[in-house]
Amino acid sequence: MNDRPELFRGNRIFLACVYWAFVLYVFVPLILMVVMGFKDSKFIGFPIRSWTLDWYTGVFADAEVLSTFGYSTAIAVLSTLISVFVGIWIAVMLEGRRFWGRTAVFGMTVLPALVPGIISAIAFRIYARWLGIEPGMGAIVWAHAVHNVPFVVLVVMARLSTLPRSQIEAARDLGADPLISFIRITLPYLVPAILGASIFCLLLSFDDFVRSFFLGGYEPTLPVLIFAKLRSGMSPEINAIATIALILTAAIGIWAERFTRRMNKET
Amino acid sequence: MTEESSGRTFWGRLAAWGPYHALMRLTTASPRRQFLILAAFPILWVLTQHLGPMLQMIRVSLTDAYPVAQGVEQNFTLDNYARFFGDSIFWMPFFRTLIFAGVFTFCTLIITYPVAYFLARHVSRKNQMLFLLLLLIPFWVGEIVRTYAIMILLGNTGAVNLLLKSLGLIERPIPFMYTSFSMGVGIVYLTALYMLLPLYSALEKLPKSMNEAAADLGAGAWTRFRRVSLPLTIEGISSGCTLVFLISTGFYATPVLLGGPSTTVFAETIAGFFHVAGDEWPTGAAFATIMFAAALVLTATFQKLMSALRKGEKQ
Repeated sequence: MNDRPELFRGNRIFLACVYWAFVLYVFVPLILMVVMGFKDSKFIGFPIRSWTLDWYTGVFADAEVLSTFGYSTAIAVLSTLISVFVGIWIAVMLEGRRFWGRTAVFGMTVLPALVPGIISAIAFRIYARWLGIEPGMGAIVWAHAVHNVPFVVLVVMARLSTLPRSQIEAARDLGADPLISFIRITLPYLVPAILGASIFCLLLSFDDFVRSFFLGGYEPTLPVLIFAKLRSGMSPEINAIATIALILTAAIGIWAERFTRRMNKET
Repeated sequence: MTEESSGRTFWGRLAAWGPYHALMRLTTASPRRQFLILAAFPILWVLTQHLGPMLQMIRVSLTDAYPVAQGVEQNFTLDNYARFFGDSIFWMPFFRTLIFAGVFTFCTLIITYPVAYFLARHVSRKNQMLFLLLLLIPFWVGEIVRTYAIMILLGNTGAVNLLLKSLGLIERPIPFMYTSFSMGVGIVYLTALYMLLPLYSALEKLPKSMNEAAADLGAGAWTRFRRVSLPLTIEGISSGCTLVFLISTGFYATPVLLGGPSTTVFAETIAGFFHVAGDEWPTGAAFATIMFAAALVLTATFQKLMSALRKGEKQ
């Protein structure tokens, strides 16, 4: 807040308008998409004259769509477990003592997050072929896991840098070896960061299209299914599927945001 | 406490257990050995999983056949790269992608800067998180779902055309879809938050007193922005633009769904080599390598330029 608001009032009103216009820009398309899922017609478009819930009940009766939800969730959970395990290990090493080549290792660590989507998908596709991994669930889990590791490392490193070293030293003085002091002191301290990073990885994996598309087998993940359906024409059925995915991801995101914020405040 | 020190807890018992104790003694004998054991897995991981795919892609791009069929010899060649320069059907999408990504990045910057400025400077600390969270919600929704939302917004029977029609501004719907415009709206929609967050954190660090001092000295709003806020947030602008540029060059689904035949981007060209059953992978790999190299060179040059600008402003 400005101490002397009278100086900046004109700007403030203008900027507030820009902000709310931006809020409209990010929300209106999604709201329209949700609304369109209730339209009682096969054709996407306004105006909507009659309404129905059929598209939503149809989704819950469609075994293919339901199994796709399960498939995407399983991929998200498995890849997150790998990313978190590897990410913590890398973060602990990088945040520990300084060593020769640390910058190079850090650069390689964040590399997957900087490679543009299509190039990353192509590189993983070629590498999976070289390793002998068939396209399918294993390949997608692996690609998502590698792609998400940098985000875990960055979040965990930020938290590690605030860890009070005295606690570790006290534990070591009392006879705890490095492994036990890590499990009993460092790991509990990292819990908020680990939870935050896990949720982020889950959502990244669940929402990912390009890697799932190029590394997938015959079974589609949810974004790939929506993409395939869109290519054969828009329909309110897609709106209903997309809306359910939207509610799931947004709800998890909001909950995680609040949860990690509260945990960070407490500790 | 007494229980722990007497070693009756799980961890105490573990520490005293012979084999574990011996293993720990062995691995932590010297700080050097301890570090090597800690570092071995992470270094192996980043080399084989992070760097490996990129190196393998470059290697494949230099071969004449991949995957190699039995009995066929694999030769190294530069033909895949020569192919790129040989046909405008290849390099046209390439330059289009770079230009589009540059323009969309600039648009994102122009749109999000005032938003970030408002959040950081005109909203009270207590409300900042709430206002920011409001903008984060659509960010959790996936790429495909948000692209579809833009399709509904801009279609011939979409909300924008309906609005314009009911206002009496148009008689026939404007064909927004399958143009570079619809693609731009979609890509800015997808990348806005990657720009907003670095800008917000740069602006938030800026002391308010600076703006007030400038105002006291008689600087108007535009001068204050140009001489105070802008130079001091160059770092945020630079990292936001780099991130958004790299992300926008990599979009595949959004251009496919929102773009048309005249807006084919390089991602679609590259993907084409991997869809066909024929042996086109080395060419696809070469094209992906060209694009990655170009994106890296451009962003590195841009960052150098921005940091030179920052140093210039300080003097």
